[in-house]
Amino acid sequence: MNQTGNDDEIGTSADSLDLSPRPVSARQRRKRRPWPAIIVLLLVVVSGGVVLTKFLTSAIDYYCNVDEIGAKSGCEPGRRLRIQGVVDEGTVKNDGVTTKFNMSFGGESLPVTYDGEPGGIFKECIPVVVHGILNDGVFLGDRVEVKHSNEYEAENPDRVDDEVATAEGTACLQ
Amino acid sequence: MDDAGFIFASYVITFGLVGAYALGVIRRARKSSREVPRDERPWL
Amino acid sequence: MNTSMSKHSPRDRVTGTPFTRGLGVVILAGITLLIILAIFVSPADVNQGESVRIMYAHVPGAWLAYLAFVVTGISSVAYLWKRTRSLTWDRIAGASAEVGVLFMGISLVTGSLWGRITWGTYWTWDARLTTTAFLFVTYIGYLAVRGLGGTHQQRARRSAVLALLAVLEIPLVHFSVQLWNTLHQEASVAGRGTDVEMDGLMLFTLFLGVVVFTLMYVWLVLHRQRSLALDDMLDDSGLDNALTARRAEAQGVAR
Repeated sequence: MNQTGNDDEIGTSADSLDLSPRPVSARQRRKRRPWPAIIVLLLVVVSGGVVLTKFLTSAIDYYCNVDEIGAKSGCEPGRRLRIQGVVDEGTVKNDGVTTKFNMSFGGESLPVTYDGEPGGIFKECIPVVVHGILNDGVFLGDRVEVKHSNEYEAENPDRVDDEVATAEGTACLQ
Repeated sequence: MDDAGFIFASYVITFGLVGAYALGVIRRARKSSREVPRDERPWL
Repeated sequence: MNTSMSKHSPRDRVTGTPFTRGLGVVILAGITLLIILAIFVSPADVNQGESVRIMYAHVPGAWLAYLAFVVTGISSVAYLWKRTRSLTWDRIAGASAEVGVLFMGISLVTGSLWGRITWGTYWTWDARLTTTAFLFVTYIGYLAVRGLGGTHQQRARRSAVLALLAVLEIPLVHFSVQLWNTLHQEASVAGRGTDVEMDGLMLFTLFLGVVVFTLMYVWLVLHRQRSLALDDMLDDSGLDNALTARRAEAQGVAR
């Protein structure tokens, strides 16, 4: 490598060194227009807009509690709602097609009908968010999401009977 | 256990992605390094 | 291409150093131990059952993504602050953002799987998930901006300003579970109260997960930052090569 030697010669050979601009090759020109980055950036702007819309329309008030129906703005009966409540003990009935249960929060109770079997870790005494429409005092749900707490406790066979006393279960003791 | 597939999948995806990214970085660096003199790398 | 430049270095000596190789061995051991603890040894949860095991990949992924984006922000400040405008800071910022996007992606995928078996759905637009998606998209945009071309200093200045804006989203994501009603649970460890409500072995496994992810982060950023330095040198040597070619021409004419 005689890189440094060349640098020293740059002044002496400048008269014969052609430094005028040359036409750029296709490869160099492509390098100047970074299409992949531009396309990604456009996709980012579009999806950022979608996410922002979702944030403003869906995320800020994700659900209404059972006792807020008709009491809080955005929770009016008659519109599509997402309701949070705790599944009441002993109310879950599944006839193979629809699942019926009551859920309550803040002293109010609401009967729910759901076409199908709720997924996740659905069970009694656990908070759920049901998406659907209120109709004649019955909430017709089309999506059930199980909310779980941020408390983690080892499963212990000796403690199964005490399960109602755990975080989610306490709701059933009241 | 019904969820075993989900649990294994999440660990396969996690370390699979990290491994693939690490390999990609090393590969690209090798490609570039063929044209960069060794004595210009400050970390060596 | 100038063949005199292509001096072959030992294969493992491109971006690796004795330090990163030692780190790599520790990481592989750590991953093995983490998988054993997470999948087989740690207990199932009272409410969530076995599905809680996904937490040990999901939570460290999210935390290290936050950390990576904060490092990107700090490196960007360091680049703008120092009068030298050192491109090393810019490359650390870029490498860290890339690794952050990777970890955020991991956290999104594992969280989605976890959500399917606990909530009953892969995805929902609650505040935590929505703000996380926004953060993810923002940093993909940051990486795209880095690829827009121009000189290295232009790239560094542009992306540093963007990084300083983007890092402001992190508190919004972290506190979204407290600010709004969300399906996502609140933070277990860095949450409101100081008391951690988690079983001891679960907490230890989570801690190990954070350690392993941190080591992986360091390894990846070191390598990526060096590979970015090689790429920048390659860009610079493009100019050198052009000059060398012109000199060769000039000498040819003179003779």
